[in-house]
Amino acid sequence: MTSQEAAARLPRVRRRARRSPLVAQRRRMGILFTLPVAFLIGSLLLIPIGQTFYYSFTNWDGFTSHWIGFTAYTNLFHNPEFVTVLENNAVMLLALPISIVLPLAVAFLLNTQLRGWRIFRSVFFLPTAVSWVVIAFVARRFFDPDKQGILRSLLDHTGLGFWHPDLLAHEHSALIAVMITFIWSVFGTNMIIFLAGMSTIDQEIYDAAKVDGAGSFTVMVRITFPLIKRFVQFAFIISLITAFSALFSLIIVMTNGGPGYGSTTLEFFIYEQAFTENNFGVAATAGVVLFVLVFTVSMVQLRLLRSDD
Amino acid sequence: MTTPNWSQRPGILVWRRRTSKTLTYFALAVVTVIMLYPFWLMGQMSFRSLNQYYLGKGFSLTTWHDLFAALPIGHELLNSTLITLSSILVILAVSTTGGYALGKLQYRLSGVVFLIIISAMMVPMQSMIIPEFVNLARLGFINHYYGAILVYSALGAPFATFLMTTYFRRLPEDVIEASLIDGLGYGSVFFRIMLPLALPAIATVAVLQFIQIWDDLLVGLLFLQTPAHRTITVGLETIPAQHFQDFPMEMAGSLVSALPAVIVFLIFQRYLVRGLTMGMSK
Repeated sequence: MTSQEAAARLPRVRRRARRSPLVAQRRRMGILFTLPVAFLIGSLLLIPIGQTFYYSFTNWDGFTSHWIGFTAYTNLFHNPEFVTVLENNAVMLLALPISIVLPLAVAFLLNTQLRGWRIFRSVFFLPTAVSWVVIAFVARRFFDPDKQGILRSLLDHTGLGFWHPDLLAHEHSALIAVMITFIWSVFGTNMIIFLAGMSTIDQEIYDAAKVDGAGSFTVMVRITFPLIKRFVQFAFIISLITAFSALFSLIIVMTNGGPGYGSTTLEFFIYEQAFTENNFGVAATAGVVLFVLVFTVSMVQLRLLRSDD
Repeated sequence: MTTPNWSQRPGILVWRRRTSKTLTYFALAVVTVIMLYPFWLMGQMSFRSLNQYYLGKGFSLTTWHDLFAALPIGHELLNSTLITLSSILVILAVSTTGGYALGKLQYRLSGVVFLIIISAMMVPMQSMIIPEFVNLARLGFINHYYGAILVYSALGAPFATFLMTTYFRRLPEDVIEASLIDGLGYGSVFFRIMLPLALPAIATVAVLQFIQIWDDLLVGLLFLQTPAHRTITVGLETIPAQHFQDFPMEMAGSLVSALPAVIVFLIFQRYLVRGLTMGMSK
């Protein structure tokens, strides 16, 4: 009996004895393999963002800093230039619906998988590979009011030659030129997101709709759109984050934030305050505002992705 | 029998299908022109001298000749290549190991670490770049390749690690268990089994980062200020300051700087598509 019991026990004991070093090894390797990325992100991302929070309460000039507390924030929000900058960011939001609707419409067209749709897809996606600096150079040629300007010659050739807008030269229109360029640039990315969403829809649903006599417009509005809503939200948030935090290079080359503060958005204001005005403290305070904006939007996105599962 | 609906008559149906097809192709052609026009513009303008540009006709190689004579294009391309490829290597090294650890070797705090990495993904560059600059300046890292490489790596690592973690998580657990039974340790499982399996995800990260880093201006502008270390994108940005209103030269420079990323894009496009949509499938 006892020997039998012992025999029955033996493999289990031996198994545990063999397993536990593996468990320990798994834990050790887990921590060891996490260390490089943790160190890199910790030292070069998390510490700097922490410093931004700290310096946002000071009058930092890059070398010395004095704690001034929440005064830094009240000063910033009473700064008329900063208010203009925030307004510019709000105006940028107006570009978002267009940057969604246009690629969505084209994705609907391509999704019918008509001949050559893959080529169209590649061509429309191509601007993703091009830097904002290049895009900005081309955009400046486009909006150039001279005879060689593309918009101008376009207007001349379509009988609208009496109207020669010079968007980049005016404080209240420079941002419009930036927004148009932005819409062009994110077109391909958003279209790809929508096409990816549409490819998750079962063909049978379309067939069923066709049998029921639904026209292609009805199918688009009643079937495709609701089924890819998640992808539309995703594209919207990605575009919003791009508009708020990835247009620095475009703005510096295209308008340099001007005329006046006409096309200075929050991210450009941060750069300008730090590196041309030497107001590192103000830049840090504005940096926290940008961080809070972008972080909140991103959290909403995570929520949306989670809630649909 | 019901009365036949006029729109169901074959002739009209064919006619309708044809017009809708024509309209679709027309719309797509218009979008094609809008999307490709900048590339055509760059190409066409780069073959004009400044005079020919103002005349609006004639072609020459003057601009291309001036571009290579006036700017260290070759050197800048080399700098860009060196910095981009090194940063990609660092990002791949930390994101594959980190992704394996967080996706397959979950330990007590790995969930927290993963959350922190996701949060790091949402830090806008402008919010942390100023203290970063001051810190690295204090260490004497400005105007050294490794300074910029470190910054690019840190900026790219969170999303790359996120992609890798979700990718590793989806690989079946049995693969690891079978290898463990065969006597491999968790370390060799990573190098011999997991890395080869992760090649598609590695390609995705590499392509995303190539385009991101090659096209970046701000990090290059701040961390590599000497002409000797300049990347092609930063060099491009300085053209207007050195050659005032020389638009053909801007376009020629644009074309040179855009070409490598466009080529990488055309070859590895499908990995890029996967990278964009992988964030969706969680």
